[in-house]
Amino acid sequence: MSNQHGISVNLQGVTKTYGTVVALNNFNLDIAPGELVALLGPSGCGKTTALRILAGLDTQHSGQILVDGKDIVGVPANKRNMGMVFQAYSLFPTMTVLENIAYGMRVRHISKEKQVARANELLELVGLQETGKRLSHQLSGGQQQRVALARALAIEPSVLLLDEPLSALDAQVRTQLRDEIKRIQTEVGTTTLFVTHDQEEAMAIADRVGVMRHGVLEQCASPQAVYLNPINVSVAKFVGAMNLLPAVVTTNNELEIYGQSVGWRNPDGLTARSGRALVRPEQLLLGSPTTDRPANAIVTNQTFLGPLTRISAKVMSDGNTLHVEMPSIEASDYPIGKNVVVTIQATSVLLDA
Amino acid sequence: MKRRLSAGNYLVLLCAFAFFVVPMIAAIEFSLRGDQGTTHGLSNYRWILAQEGFGANLFTSARLAAITAILVLLLMVPTIVYLHLGGARWKRIIEFICLVPLVVPVISYAMGVATAMPIFLQSTVYELSFLYVIVTMPYTYRALDVGLSSIPLLTLVEASKSAGATMRQTLVLVVMPSIRSAINGAIFLSVALALGEFTLAVLLHWDTFPTWINNVAQSNVLGAVSLSVFSLVGAWLVVLVVAVGPKSKHSDQNQEA
Ligand SMILES: Nc1ncnc2c1ncn2[C@@H]1O[C@H](COP(=O)(O)OP(=O)(O)OP(=O)(O)O)[C@@H](O)[C@H]1O
Ligand SMILES: [Mg+2]
Repeated sequence: MSNQHGISVNLQGVTKTYGTVVALNNFNLDIAPGELVALLGPSGCGKTTALRILAGLDTQHSGQILVDGKDIVGVPANKRNMGMVFQAYSLFPTMTVLENIAYGMRVRHISKEKQVARANELLELVGLQETGKRLSHQLSGGQQQRVALARALAIEPSVLLLDEPLSALDAQVRTQLRDEIKRIQTEVGTTTLFVTHDQEEAMAIADRVGVMRHGVLEQCASPQAVYLNPINVSVAKFVGAMNLLPAVVTTNNELEIYGQSVGWRNPDGLTARSGRALVRPEQLLLGSPTTDRPANAIVTNQTFLGPLTRISAKVMSDGNTLHVEMPSIEASDYPIGKNVVVTIQATSVLLDA
Repeated sequence: MKRRLSAGNYLVLLCAFAFFVVPMIAAIEFSLRGDQGTTHGLSNYRWILAQEGFGANLFTSARLAAITAILVLLLMVPTIVYLHLGGARWKRIIEFICLVPLVVPVISYAMGVATAMPIFLQSTVYELSFLYVIVTMPYTYRALDVGLSSIPLLTLVEASKSAGATMRQTLVLVVMPSIRSAINGAIFLSVALALGEFTLAVLLHWDTFPTWINNVAQSNVLGAVSLSVFSLVGAWLVVLVVAVGPKSKHSDQNQEA
């Protein structure tokens, strides 16, 4: 039942407006066969719109959509052969779990025996063998979304589309089902577009993460690349936590931050000579003051996060608060009120003018 | 957390019940009298069955009822579904149109038929069904509108579409089963109207069950009361058949098999 080869998807220059709102602005995205791309972005940035246009549930104003190299603009949703899982629970309330899964085959007039066989196969894939005869209201939220996933996969879709399928679930079920979606997707090899506004979810599940803002895909790269080498300031600020530290560009083109020189890059082509440097909490190191390095900050707070502890420190010179993350076992060396030396350990930070 | 009913509540309920039931019991009792009220029996009902035209007229009305119900569903379900799925700007006007039959006198429909209805329809009794569809619109519109408001229609329709279903398949397989009780309500309203409507049938000179009752009842008071009991029970039977008959096949599978 697997279609290991997968199918490629290309969205080229897709633009969609609702009245004066530009939901997608010259949106470009290429998904390789069998790949799982997560679209990540703040609320209202156009993630759902991109997904719905690909599914044929909305129409773009301009741009091309190629599936397996063929332009599908104008093909209605029910002919696009795309499996979709919605954010809201969407099982058909009057059908049993098995009937829900078999629905796509039923409307295609596939024989009853085949329907039942494949529906059972999928039920097993999502781990719900016991529930085939139940109605949707007799399932938990997590189970309903599993059935919705099975229903979407039942038609052997060329593309699987998931619009925040986990957002209605509580944290534990969410992580579990997320891992399961990844396993199933790898197993069946279907090209997948996964929309979420949860960074951790996107990072954990995706081969590539596409970061969106104002209807534009700003960066689409591996989770590591998006986190470690954000393409511009807005991606850097959106993905993961950031300290914004006052910085000045020096004559030898480095950034001076609290008296330290740090290498930087300038993808946005800034001309300003000063601004705020973006430094991640784990790129800041704390140390005890020495005679060469007098204290430049004081610890004001500790937040225990499990393996890591976040320490807040107030910079003496300007009163700014910094956030530093370190392994919890080392955090006890920096109790609240201790004077510390903050060192920046980064080589190519971004500057926000 | 069930609220208990107070004695006052029970009293009100009891009064309402009595108001509803006492006349019916009286009518049933009356209809069973025979022979100047000295004996009881089914003689009046036998009299009904013996009247000429009973079966034929009842059958005519039953056909009218069935056709009315089908037309109502064919016309109203897709229209109201469309209103709920992005046709919202038409909602005000369609709502208004559906209310108009409440204020238009029935006689003007009769006039309208004579001037505007296609001749081939005017020549059959089924023209009444088309009028009944119009007359029931205020009620069937409400029933279906409420039903569709109670389900996540857009999500279900989009899920069905992306699974590959056509709009017709979506309506028949997903939407209509999800609003079963609203559909039952609409069917019941249209059937009840079609079985009992008198004025239009008379104005357009058709023989239906209600006009037939009117004719035969002139000569026999006890028979007339029996007939009204008969119609009442008949209407109840229709309710039962519609509401319980084609029971959703899952309602008895609620426990996991
Ligand atoms: N049917 C619509 N009519 C008018 N505006 C719309 C419609 N659908 C979306 N929009 C607008 O288009 C923009 C993009 O919406 P979209 O639903 O794609 O956002 P999103 O990224 O999915 O957000 P969220 O994370 O909140 O779901 C928003 O500004 C939204 O208000
Ligand atoms: Mg959305």
